[in-house]
This record gives sequence, structure tokens and C-alpha cells, in this order.
Amino acid sequence: MGKFMRNWFASGEPWIWMNAAAVGISIVAVVGVLALIAVRGFAHFWPSDVQLITFADEDGTTRQVFAELIELNRISRQQFLESGGHADWISQDQEDVSRWLVKTGNRRTNPPDFRWLFLDQIQSLQSPSEVVVFERLEWGNAYGIPVELENAQGRIVGAEVWPQLRTLITQASITREHIDEVEQGSLNRINYDLERLRLKQRGLASTAHENTLELKRIEAEKAQLMGAYDAEETVLRQLYAKLDLGNVTIRTADGGAVNIDIADILAAWQPNRMSTFDKVGHYLGSIGRFLTEDPREANTEGGIFPAIFGTVLMVLLMSVIVTPFGVIAAVYLREYAKQGLFVRIIRIAVNNLAGVPSIVYGVFGLGFFVYFLGGNLDRLFFPEALPAPTFGTPGLMWASLTLALLTVPVVIVSTEEGLTRIPRSLREGSLALGATKSETLFRVILPMASPAILTGIILAVARAAGEVAPLMLVGVVKLAPTLPLDGNFPFLHLDQKFMHLGFHIYDVGFQSPNVEAARPLVYATSLLLVAIIVVLNLTAITLRGRLERRYRSVES
Amino acid sequence: MQPSISVSGVTRRRRWNDRITKWVVAVGGAGVIGAITLIFGYLLWVVAPIFAPGSIDKSPTHDVVERQPLLVDVSENGDVLLRISDDGIIEFYDQSVGTPIAAFDLEQRIVSADRVYPRVDLYALRTTTEKILFIRTQYIVSFVEGQRVLTPKLDLPFGNALLDVPASAVVDTQFVDGELIVAAAIGRSLLLTRYSNVEEGFPIGSPEQVRVDTGSEVAHVLLGPRNEWVYLLDTRGGIEVLSIKEPLSLLYKGSLIPIGMEMTATAALLGRYSILVADNTGKVTQWGLFKDEFGHRFEALRDFQLDLPAQSIILEPRRKGFATLDAEGTLTLLYPTSNRAIANRSTILAPGTPVAIAPRSDMLVAANSRNQLQRFELHNEHPEISFAALWGKIWYEGYEEPIFSWQSSSADTDFEPKFSLTPLAFGTLKAAFYALLFAVPIAIMGAIYTAYFMAPAMRSWVKPGIEIMAALPTVILGFIGGLWLAPIIEDKLSSVITIVVVLPVALFVMSLAWSQIPEKMTKRWAGWYGLLVTPLIVITAYIAFDIGPILEDVFFNGNSRTWFRDVLGLNYDQRNALVVGIVMGLAVVPTIFSIAEDAIYGVPNHLKNGSLALGATPWQTLTRVVLLTASPGIFSAVMIGMGRAVGETMIVLMATGNTPLMDFNIFEGMRTFAANVAVELPESEVNSTHYRILFLSALVLFMLTFAFNTVAEVVRQRLREQYGSL
Repeated sequence: MGKFMRNWFASGEPWIWMNAAAVGISIVAVVGVLALIAVRGFAHFWPSDVQLITFADEDGTTRQVFAELIELNRISRQQFLESGGHADWISQDQEDVSRWLVKTGNRRTNPPDFRWLFLDQIQSLQSPSEVVVFERLEWGNAYGIPVELENAQGRIVGAEVWPQLRTLITQASITREHIDEVEQGSLNRINYDLERLRLKQRGLASTAHENTLELKRIEAEKAQLMGAYDAEETVLRQLYAKLDLGNVTIRTADGGAVNIDIADILAAWQPNRMSTFDKVGHYLGSIGRFLTEDPREANTEGGIFPAIFGTVLMVLLMSVIVTPFGVIAAVYLREYAKQGLFVRIIRIAVNNLAGVPSIVYGVFGLGFFVYFLGGNLDRLFFPEALPAPTFGTPGLMWASLTLALLTVPVVIVSTEEGLTRIPRSLREGSLALGATKSETLFRVILPMASPAILTGIILAVARAAGEVAPLMLVGVVKLAPTLPLDGNFPFLHLDQKFMHLGFHIYDVGFQSPNVEAARPLVYATSLLLVAIIVVLNLTAITLRGRLERRYRSVES
Repeated sequence: MQPSISVSGVTRRRRWNDRITKWVVAVGGAGVIGAITLIFGYLLWVVAPIFAPGSIDKSPTHDVVERQPLLVDVSENGDVLLRISDDGIIEFYDQSVGTPIAAFDLEQRIVSADRVYPRVDLYALRTTTEKILFIRTQYIVSFVEGQRVLTPKLDLPFGNALLDVPASAVVDTQFVDGELIVAAAIGRSLLLTRYSNVEEGFPIGSPEQVRVDTGSEVAHVLLGPRNEWVYLLDTRGGIEVLSIKEPLSLLYKGSLIPIGMEMTATAALLGRYSILVADNTGKVTQWGLFKDEFGHRFEALRDFQLDLPAQSIILEPRRKGFATLDAEGTLTLLYPTSNRAIANRSTILAPGTPVAIAPRSDMLVAANSRNQLQRFELHNEHPEISFAALWGKIWYEGYEEPIFSWQSSSADTDFEPKFSLTPLAFGTLKAAFYALLFAVPIAIMGAIYTAYFMAPAMRSWVKPGIEIMAALPTVILGFIGGLWLAPIIEDKLSSVITIVVVLPVALFVMSLAWSQIPEKMTKRWAGWYGLLVTPLIVITAYIAFDIGPILEDVFFNGNSRTWFRDVLGLNYDQRNALVVGIVMGLAVVPTIFSIAEDAIYGVPNHLKNGSLALGATPWQTLTRVVLLTASPGIFSAVMIGMGRAVGETMIVLMATGNTPLMDFNIFEGMRTFAANVAVELPESEVNSTHYRILFLSALVLFMLTFAFNTVAEVVRQRLREQYGSL
């Protein structure tokens, strides 16, 4: 046996297994992280059943509550006692205790909306079919059974309430859309124009000689806009009046009654009555709304559309900037510059810049772009708005520029790699046929290098989409009031701050007051971001593979 | 035969295109490279001023009407000079040209005038009728023909109420939190007058007055911080500290100057937690009052040695700096925190001349004996900084001993900023160390297996699979670390420890079992160990998780966190270095893995084959030939991984508590350079010392990672050449 063990060790077999385990751990980690995000992210939208939980309260009284079961976990006896469990709820020899995290909703009347219930505390679980989940504009979800509906048309009680309520909710959502159209559309435009006029007026006032004619014209325009504003406001008031659809009284599990304004209800459903098919429909609908709606309640509810929009717009602007510069720099280094020590040093420097921490770029962006360039731009072109900064404050343009600088090494390196792979014979062939160097570049070299360039851009985009640290300094905010692209001239507002998926994750996960409620949303946002980045990277990998195959055929 | 195409066939337009392209590419390429170098240059440009020396520059003097000046001062924004004279006339002059803009007559003679601490617009005047009068200056801004015009205004904010104080008394006044205190010492007694709920512009109520006897003849009275105590000094440096909160009590009695020396000047620094004492040997010492279990005591925080004894001390009203004036008229600018003598200049100023430093600390003004207002420009923007203040231990006010500390801001205006980069550098290295501790073994061992033992079919998806991890946004990893992993580890610390212990054992057992299976059956799985082992890892982790609490009872008395605290003295934070190590390790693994794998995979085949042909086993070939050849590549992989770990921001921000600690404990958090910049830069005032120091930490990060990467890159290029030649 001793000899066997000696041989076995000498063969290195156990060490090989250890090395294999390192690969195994890496695989488990990658798969685990992705699976965790996917499972939690997708689970968020599923309309789970609402249970009627009967449980014994801390002081022994029996209570009932409607709740969704979120998560079951186990804690030790000691933790159980520390977290307020009663010793007589469990037997003497019980080592650990199971508990449910339940979402009880009804935050306004019975805060908090999440609580832990020990398994031994729970006496019974039922799922009454008539219980309704209300998604509200404020205060999160409410759970209860609608018993009474009251509005200008009168009072309804009993079985009629639910169908009637559903039509009213649909009505409310249509009206809300109209209100949005007015507020985001025409009113927003008028406000924007008014602000422009105000600045113009200030600009004229600060110049020495008076320009009465111009001032009068502005006054007239202002009056006209104010008129339009009043008209829109009347429309708005009518719409808001239309939103007054009465209120519904729901009975909560403990027998209490809660009044909900119908205008505040975004959606209502009866999860316990839904078939799996219905649930899938509801599920897909929820995902759709998550992707297309604005956030609500300090970003802990609602959708993430502005964050998606901000991320995409910023990344697009960045690629528009980074592509030409990255490609030109690579072409210069590879095709035009005289190869030597200097170019080698530059190449190493460019390579290394890809490894410089992103926060350093953020610091540079804030100091140079925002305060130095932006501050000077303001003094030159927007003096009338000072001291309120226009470009001298973090914004979309500076964020895109900073990230372009951050990702330009990626594009340079990738493009250069593509250029090196092009066989010399092709260049020489083109030149021998009488083409100039620029013609060779545009007709032969760049088309052949295009997959490499594209790979570089995709990698740059993937990196930029996931970068948060520099953006925290140069342009993202937790909540932007308007999108940076709208119908007001000049349509694309480069000076505006914007929302970003990555920052949204940080902000909602770590800065929000109700972390428990926000967590599923953070998982869902993470899932979206991971999906975008993994898809981009896989595309880059595929392209690189195709590129390799292509040149193998050229070389042979 | 075809006609040959002549070169002149290149038309003019084509030649132009060629030239334009060449220029565009050259200019564009050089521009991009220039822009990249700009980063370094700009960071340096922002940082440089903090190391620039300060100076005192003389400005032209303004001639003014002959009067006996008692006090000069500069307005908040530096535009207006103020002179208070003994005939009760208060004049305002334009600072830049010296023209008088306003004058007020109090119609009574004045013997002394002082600022009311901590204000710069409120003055306490003592009249010849033995009374104290409070006046306030205001500057009304208006625009006349586009020009900004300042109109000075003078009023009595507390009404005409005058307090009786004998002419022989020494007095200090303080107005903090609506409480106005006048401390007057007459001989061996102190009279304390306290007005409560004072509002400016409203008549003042009646005061509470207390009289206490002191141990010796009082020469200087200095009120302490926030109306808490009062310092009483005699001419020989003897000091008594009295608590002026009810009940009045003696906190400390002693001497601040060795016997045989004389005190030449004294003053209390902004905040009034420490006082300056100048003696006749030219030494200026900063003394701070401390409290411990033995009661109160004074400690000398630091001292400055001047050529001549300081005859007067002029305080900066908004910072803790000060200037001294000696008998020969030499002005010296000093700063306590950094222990720096910033600049000096000889002047004609005589001791006793009214001198003041502007609220913005950019000007010093004096009313000299020739009826002139003399101005000195002070260039002293960043006095808090010196190499020692950035990296060394500093004895801050209110601390028991010199410490490393980073605390850049506070709600209080009299706060002493603590700009030591050492805790941040320590935190950065600590985070990187724990991350690498986790990442390096896994990444390198994984790379060895993937490059050397793995079946090509498996390698083709394992490598990109792990590399995708590198692209995963760190904000997501940080979120998982902070909100998912940290609570789990806190809950199940013993299980985590169990996994670390049990997993190698399980692996050993499995490999032993595997070797018992006939080779015929195991042969086709030779390259797939990495996959075979994953179920084992998952199952072991699962079981370890369950038995963790049981082992906790056996080894850690039922609670591992308490055990670590009580037995090893390690505190436990929920978001700690262990969490950062694991999560940041995950972020770094793919970087190291990928480069190390390339290096090992690239070892030329004939080397391996030669070794195998000589009868070495694959394992011997690996350890004696392959790893040796690839070691520079592995080294460069670790360097690049280190660069990434040092600069990572979001993970550290989210998975640690971000407290700047100096403790290597794995169960406590840290604050790194990168996280610190991300947290503090948005709130920092542009071009302030704080702002420049944050830029300095970015520059340090930049240079650090650049150095790591350059070393790695050079090593890698060498290796490539070496492989090429083999």
C-alpha cells in the first residue's frame, strides 16, 4: 500500500485533481452567478399565489394576513432567539428553525411590507380564490378582497365589484396615458421654450445697450406661450377630473378595511384564480411593462425604461466617437508610423491604458471635460445662464467622451490585431497594381480588417455598458426627469444627466430605503444588463472566430 | 502584349486623396495618442499646486488719514478694508485702489477692538467709559451700470446694551449657537457674562453673571470650544482651565512653559481645541487639552522654532493656520497639521500693530505707524499638505496620540481635515491581497489544468466561458457580494470555513477512489476531470453548509463570530475583506486565468515531447519543464490581476463598509483609493485641497497600475520572443 501511495503521488494524480478542481470552482462560480441572477431576476415577475396565513403573534394572539411567500430559510436556535423568537415556540432539542420571508404588502396601513414568520408560528395556509393583488402608484402592493366600490355613479357591493373595478382600472390607465402625453409632450415643450426665452432675456439684459425691440418681441412670445400653457393646463385639469373614478374598499385578512383610490391602481389581478396559462400571460406582460415603464417610488417599483434608454444612448454616442479615432490611431500605428522603439513604447502604453482603473478616467473626465472644457464652454457660449452651469456640470456628452477615452485602447488593440493579420502580399499586390496607399487602405486593408474593427467596437460597447464607477462622476443620476432625447430643439440634449442600468443597480440596491422591496428589481435589472453584455461578448467571440477562419483561407 | 501602365496614370485627384489620408491618419493617430498622454499630464497639473511653496508678496500700500488704529480687517469676499480707530471712527476702503467708501462715527472713544469668535463680521469694542459694545458690518451688493458696487453698513446687532467691564480687565468674547459669552479677568478673578437665546437684530436679554477666583494673576483669557471651558494664562505660561458649564470647575492647572522662560504671545486656534504659546526662545508650541480616566491634561502636539521670539500671533479666521510677527518685523506663515513653516518675509511692521488675515486667507492687512494700510498677498492655498501629513502619523487635535486618519469633511466649520493617504493605501493593498489570495491559486491551477490536461473539446468552451466572467459588470458582482453573499457568510461563517477544510479532503478521497477504478474505464475521461469534479464541489459545498453549524458547536462554542471576537480578538463586520476577497477574486480570476493559460498553452510542443520522451511523467514534465518555461507569463498574469484588483471600484464600494481602517483583520472592511474617490469626489469643492488630494489618489492609482501593467507587458513580450526562438 505504501508503495502504491508513493507511486500515486509521484504520478501527480492528486495534484492534477486539485488543478481540475480549480477549473471546477471557476465553472461553478460562473454558472452559479449567472444562474442566481437569472433565477431571481425572472422569478420577480411571476404572479405567485397569495396565501391567507394564520399565525400566532409574538404575544400569543392568533392573527391572519394575506401574503406572498418569498423565501424559506433556516436559522440556528441562537439566531432564532436573538431575532425575537419565543423559546416556547420550539421544542428544547430543536437545533434550527425554519422561517418564511413573506411579503404582506399594505405598507401604508401595516408597515413594514416584509416580515419573517417562523414555521412553528404558522398555524395554517390557505389560498382563497377571491383575493386580489393591487399594484398601486404609491405604497407598493395591496392585498385584499374588494367588497365595495363607490363613485359618482353610486355604490356597488358584492360580486359586481370585481368586473366593474377592472373596467375602471382600464379606464384610469387610458386617462393616465393622456395625462402623460400632455405633461411630457406639449407642456414640457412650452416649459422648455419659456426657459429659452428667459435665458435670452437675461442675455440681452446683461449687454450694455438696450434692445427694446427684441425685448418686446420676447415679451410677446412669452405671453403667447403663457396662453398656450393655460390652455394645456385646462385640458390637464379636465383629464385629472376624469381620473376621479371613485374608490374601492378592500377587506384585509385581519378583517380591516382599506380604501384605495381607483386612480392610484395600476393593475389588479387575482393570482389564485389564474390558470398557468393566464399566469404566463401576466408574466410576459409584467416583463414588458418593466422594460417600457418609468420607475416609481424612489426607483423601487415600476420599470427601468429611462435607464435602458440612457445606457443605449450613451453607448451609441460613445461608439460614434470611439470608432473613427480608435481605427485612425491603429492605422497610424500599424500602416503609417515608422516602426521602431517609439512606436513600440506607444503600443505598450496603449495596451496598458486598457488596464488603468476606470475610476481614474472618471476623475480625469470630471476635472478636464466637466470643469475645464465645460466651464470654458459655458463662459463662451452660455453666459446668460451662469452661474447655473450648462456644460460645466456632469452630463451625457462628458460621460460619452470619458467612456470613449476609456475604451479607445480596446478598439486600437483589436484593430491593430486585425491589421497585423492581413498578409503583406495583399498590400503589395494592391500597390503593384498601381493603387495609391490610401486606395489600398480603403479598398483592401480596411474591408479585410472590418471584422476585427467590429470586434473591437463590440468589446468597447460591452465594457462601456457595464462601467459604473466613472459615470458616477461624469453624468449619471438616480432619477432623470426627462429623457435626453425628445421633441424639443435641438432634440438631443447632450448637457442633460441620464440614468444608467449599472448605476441603477448600485443605487437601488444600496441607497434605497426599502432594500427588501427593491431587491427583486435589482436582480431583474442585473439580469438585463448581464444579458446585454453576454450577448455582445458572444458576438465578439463569434466574429473573432469567423475572422480567424477567413484569414486561414487567405493565407493558404 | 499589353501596354504598360505608367505611374503617371495616377491622377492628380488620386494623389491628393492619398496625401490627405496620410495627413488625417497621422494627425488623428497622433491626436489620440496625445489625448491618452493628456490624462497623465492633466492629473499631474491638478495635483501639482499642493506641493507648490507658499509665499507672502507685498502689494502697494494705501495712504490713509492719520488716526490711531486699533483694528484692521478685510471683508468676507476681500473687496473692502476696514479700520477701527481709537476716536470711534470706523472707515471702509476699497481694497484694490484704497479710496475711502464709507465712514461711521460711534461718537465715543475706544480703547480696544477685537473680532468676536468665530465671526468675521462681528466686533467687540471697549470704550473709555469701561463698557463693551458690539458692532456688526454688512456689505450690500448692488449693480450700477453693470458694475458691482459694495455699500458697507454698520449696525449694533444686540442693541445699545452695554456691558460694564473695568479698563484693567482682559477680555474674550464668543458667539456660538445663539449664546454670547464675555469672559473678563480682572486680577485674580474671572467674571463670566452669558447671554442666552441671542438673535442678531433683536434687543438682548439680561445676562447671567458668575464670578470665580483664579489661582494667579490672569494675563490672557481665551474661551474654549463651543462655550465649554475657558483658558486662563498668566505671563509666565501658567495655565488654568475652567469648565464654564454648570457647575464651574477647575479642569486643569499647570504650566505650558519651562521655568525661566517667558511667554511672548498666545492665541487659540480655530475651533479653540488647542492653544498656541510662543516663548522667548523663539519656540511656538501647540498645546491640546485631553481627557482620560486620570482627568484632564495638556499635551504638546507640535512646535515650531523661529529665529526670533514671536511677539504676536495672527490667526487665520477660517483655517487652523496662523502667522507670527517678531520684534524685527518678520512675518512667518505657519500651519499646525502639516507642521509647516510655509513662508516668511521681513517687513517694517512693529509688534503691536493691528494686523489681520482675510477670511479667505489670501491676504494679510496691517495698519502701520506711517498712516498706511499695508497689504500682503498670501499664496497659501494648500497649507495642510506635506509629505509627512499625507503619509505619516499626525497628532490631530482631540486625539490621544499621533494617528493615521482619513476624514476629509465634517459638518463643523472648525473641523480639522485629516488627509492621511496611508489608511487608503493600506485598504487598497488589503483588498487586493485578499482578492489575490483567493484568485491566484484558482486561476493559475485552473490555467494549468486547462492548458495542459484538458481535452480540447472541453477547452474550447471552458476558456471563453471563464473569460466571459471578465466582462461581467463589476457592479453586479458587487451587488451580489454585498446583498447576497455578505449576509450568507455572516450567517454561516462556520459553513464557509468548513468548505475550505472539507473540499481538499473530499478531492483527495475522490482522486484516490478514481485511481482504484481500472484504467480501461477511466482512460476516456482523462481530459474531463474539470467537469467530473463539479458535482463533487457542489455536493461537498452543500453538505459542508449543513454540517457547518454542527462543527460550530464543537469548535467555536456555538457561535463562530463570537469565538473569533473573544478568542482571537477579531471583530466581525457584515461587509468585510472576506466578502471582497471572494467577489473581487471572482472578478480577477478570468484575467489571470486567461493570460496564464495562454502562457502555458504556448510552451512549444517539442519541449514537452522531449521531456516525455526521456521518460518523465506528464506531471514531472509539467512541473520541471512547462511551468518553468511559462513562469514569466504566469508572473505577468498575476501582475495584471493585481492591477485590476487595486483599481476596482464598484465591488469594494458595495461589498465593504468603506471605513478607512488600519487593520488587517479579514473580518473587517476597508476603504480603498478607488472607492474613496468615487464617494468623495462628487461632493468635493473644485480646486480645494480635498479635490486635489483626490486627484492625487487617482494619480497614484494610475501610476501604480501603469507600472504593474508595464512590467507585465515587457515580461510577456520577452516571453513571446523566447518562445519564437525555441
